[in-house]
Parts: sequence; structure tokens; C-alpha cells
Amino acid sequence: MSLSNLIKNWSSLRVKRPYEDQYKDKDYKWAMVIDLDACTGCNACTTACYAENNLPVVGREAFSKGQAMHWLRIERYWGEGEHMDKFPDHGAQFLPMMCQQCESAPCEVVCPVGATHHTPDGLNSQVYNRCIGSRYCSANCPYKVRYFNWWQYPERAWPNPLEQQLNPDVTVRSKGVMEKCTFCVQRLTEAKNRARTEGRRVADGEVTTACAQACPTSAITFGNLADDKSQVARIWERQQIKLASDKQEKDENLRGYRIFEELRTYPSVVYLERVRDSEA
Amino acid sequence: MKVRMKNILVWLSLLVLCGTATGEPFVQGGAIGSQTDDGYNALGPVVEQPIEFPHNTHAGQMGINCMYCHTYARRSAVSGIPRLDKCMGCHKLIESVKDKPRIKKLFEYWEKKEPIPWKKVHDLPDFVRFNHERHIQRFYFREDRPVREVCGYCHGDVASMTTARRVKALSMGWCVSCHQKDHLENAATTKTSNGPNDCWQCHK
Repeated sequence: MSLSNLIKNWSSLRVKRPYEDQYKDKDYKWAMVIDLDACTGCNACTTACYAENNLPVVGREAFSKGQAMHWLRIERYWGEGEHMDKFPDHGAQFLPMMCQQCESAPCEVVCPVGATHHTPDGLNSQVYNRCIGSRYCSANCPYKVRYFNWWQYPERAWPNPLEQQLNPDVTVRSKGVMEKCTFCVQRLTEAKNRARTEGRRVADGEVTTACAQACPTSAITFGNLADDKSQVARIWERQQIKLASDKQEKDENLRGYRIFEELRTYPSVVYLERVRDSEA
Repeated sequence: MKVRMKNILVWLSLLVLCGTATGEPFVQGGAIGSQTDDGYNALGPVVEQPIEFPHNTHAGQMGINCMYCHTYARRSAVSGIPRLDKCMGCHKLIESVKDKPRIKKLFEYWEKKEPIPWKKVHDLPDFVRFNHERHIQRFYFREDRPVREVCGYCHGDVASMTTARRVKALSMGWCVSCHQKDHLENAATTKTSNGPNDCWQCHK
């Protein structure tokens, strides 16, 4: 970010909270919907993410210390008490958790070197070669979806000839930098470039993230919220969820919600609550 | 000694070109041997190629469009090195130069059915994504600028070199200096636009 750009666009760069219709005239605002009713917890999305984004497999020891690098993890929630007594075979509930691409991201404001900032299409970016590894962002992230490279993983994770499997469109991160889900920005950039050459906007369904692509039950929907007709925008509207609101005024029987909305992070991911037969 | 003299001659001719010729596009990025604001050398190292390919004959004297050989530049992120059959497509039919040493080498590779191991000259770090297509579409096709100028913004006047040599810094500050400029949208309007200023546009 150059100084002249900083001065020229000062007011827009200072906007830290989204406002209504912020992306109305913009071309892109990437967003996601995850239907927990369709999620079976199969971990295909996590695997796809590992393959797409050059995530290292850290091994048992590092994993037990909480140093796993899964940008997208499946969280498990077990029923408790009376519920489990009544429905013992319910088992776990699953929730895929990745960077929520907050509109007012807690991680962005605390970075001492500006390695993480907001892109014009509403993503929370992470620039690896600017990151100095202070880990403030991770400490300030309420979702705990930022992952730190404690070790030099590449040589261990991809011994020769496994480096051949690496995605050339994604940097292989080295020791000492923070990383997180990017909504597969390499795919988005490619699609945007193609669309610009053809003089149009990226069409709905033209580009999707690796996790959404791999999901066998299509629980994950990805798309452009700035495009009213996109599937994502339609679900957001049907669920009466507004991007710039920290408390949704919606009908009670709707399943959509955003996680930790009350913290005013304004996340870009909507979850659709699971319907269990005890509730039906 | 002879080689050194030749090098010096190439150097001199480049210097003269950068100083006097078409002006802005070739000067930008600093004079040869100078450094940019962010401390990068504008001039890259000499890269010795398996065949000393004369860009000056092809693009200079013959006036062949850069994209006749680097054909992917207009539709992909990378410009591409032409396949051997692209060279042979013409040189099979050009009898007059068939006994020149460089062409003999070319035919050797062709008969061995081996690709020519060209070396990379303009090498960006792995964390940068540069897209040829967008730049070519914007400045060559939309704005209709001459191809030698459009490619020359980053590659220098390759049409005056034999084998290509990096003459621009290709550093971030140098890229941004051009992205900040107000470029005319097209020849018909006075509307301008800048290149993208978002980190993730280039950093991956």
C-alpha cells in the first residue's frame, strides 16, 4: 500500500465496520453458506483444502501440541445430559470451521506490520512475506482459525518426490509466518482475470472453493454476495441475514446464523442450523 | 578478448537506445546499471542460452510480433517459450540461413527430437503471481499500443537484443510505480484507471 494510495483512499480504508449496501455497486463480495444439516463430518473438505493450499501434514507429535495446519477443520459437538439419554444414537454434530472472512476483522487491526488487511472484494488477506510472526492476529481471532508455522515444514511434509504434488499457484509457507483460509484466492483471481478479459463479471458457479467442490453432500455453497442472483445471495436473503448487522431480525423458524455475531466481526460465512428429529 | 569487445558493444548500443530512443517506456525502471528506489538492480545478469537466439533479427529487422512465438501471452498468465516446431515451421523453408551455425544447432535439436533447454531470464519470486494476459489485453488489444512498447514496459526493448536480458528491476516498488499511474482507458476517452492496488492481486 503506497503512501499516495493511502492518502487518496483514506476514508474508505478507514472504514472498519460494514454499512448497509456496502457492496451494492461493487463487483464482488465473496461469501459462503454451510448447511450443517447436510454436513456428515466426512472431512472431504479438509482433505481438499490440504491438497489445494499446500498445507503440510505436521505429524502426531506436533498435532498433539495443537500445531496442526488445517485451515478448515471439522469441529465435533456431542450432545449432553437429557438429550443424549433420550437419543443415544445421535452422536456428534459437525461444524466445518474456517476463516470467516470477517468484514470487521479483529486480526487486521492488531497486525503490527499490516500483513493482513481487507481486500476490495471483502476477503481478509494474509501476505506471507510481509508477516513477521508476532501472532497477535491469532491471539485476537475469536474463531481460532489462524495457524502459525512453528517449524520449517516443507522438507518434512513433502520429501522428494512429493513436492511434485504442490499447487504452483499457492506459496509454500516457511517457518515463522501466520496463515489461514483464503477462500482459495488463487482460483478467485484466475476467474476474475478471465472475466475481466471477456468484459464481464464472474458468473455464479464459475468459480468455487476447493472445499465446496469436494463436499459430497453439497453442504458448502460459495459465491458472490454482490450479485443478487447468485445462489449465496439468495440463501442469505431467504435466511434474512444482513452482512452489516450484528443482530439479525429474522423469523424464528429460519435456520441461518453467523457465529459470534455479537462480537461484531460481521463474518461472511452463514451456517444453517442442523435439524434433529427431537426438534422436528 | 573478442567476446569482451562484443559485450561492450552490446552494452553501448543498449545504453544509447535507452537514453535516446522512444523515450518513456524504455527509460522507466531506471537506466542500465542503476538501482531503483527499493534498491534493486535494473539490469539483470547475462543468461547464456543454448542457442544465442537473435531477437534483433526476428522482432527487430523482420518485425515479427512478439506474440507470434510467445503465443500464450495474450490468453494466459505466462507468455510461454515457443515449441521447437514453431521455429521449424519457418526455418525448414528458409534456405538462405540453413548453414549458419545457430540454425545448424536448431536442426540438431530437431533431429534428436529434443526440446531446446532455454533458460529463464525474467524470473519472479514464487510468492508473486504475474498475469501476462491482463496486461496484453489492456494495453495491446484495448488501447492498441504497439507491441514492442507494451512488452517493453517490463522486458525492455528486446527487439534490439540478441538473447534477452532483464533490463527492468521487476521489483514490487517498480511494479507499483506503474500501477499508480493514471492510464487512459482507451484512445477515445480521457477516462483513466489505475492498476490494482490490492496485495492479493499479485501476492499469493
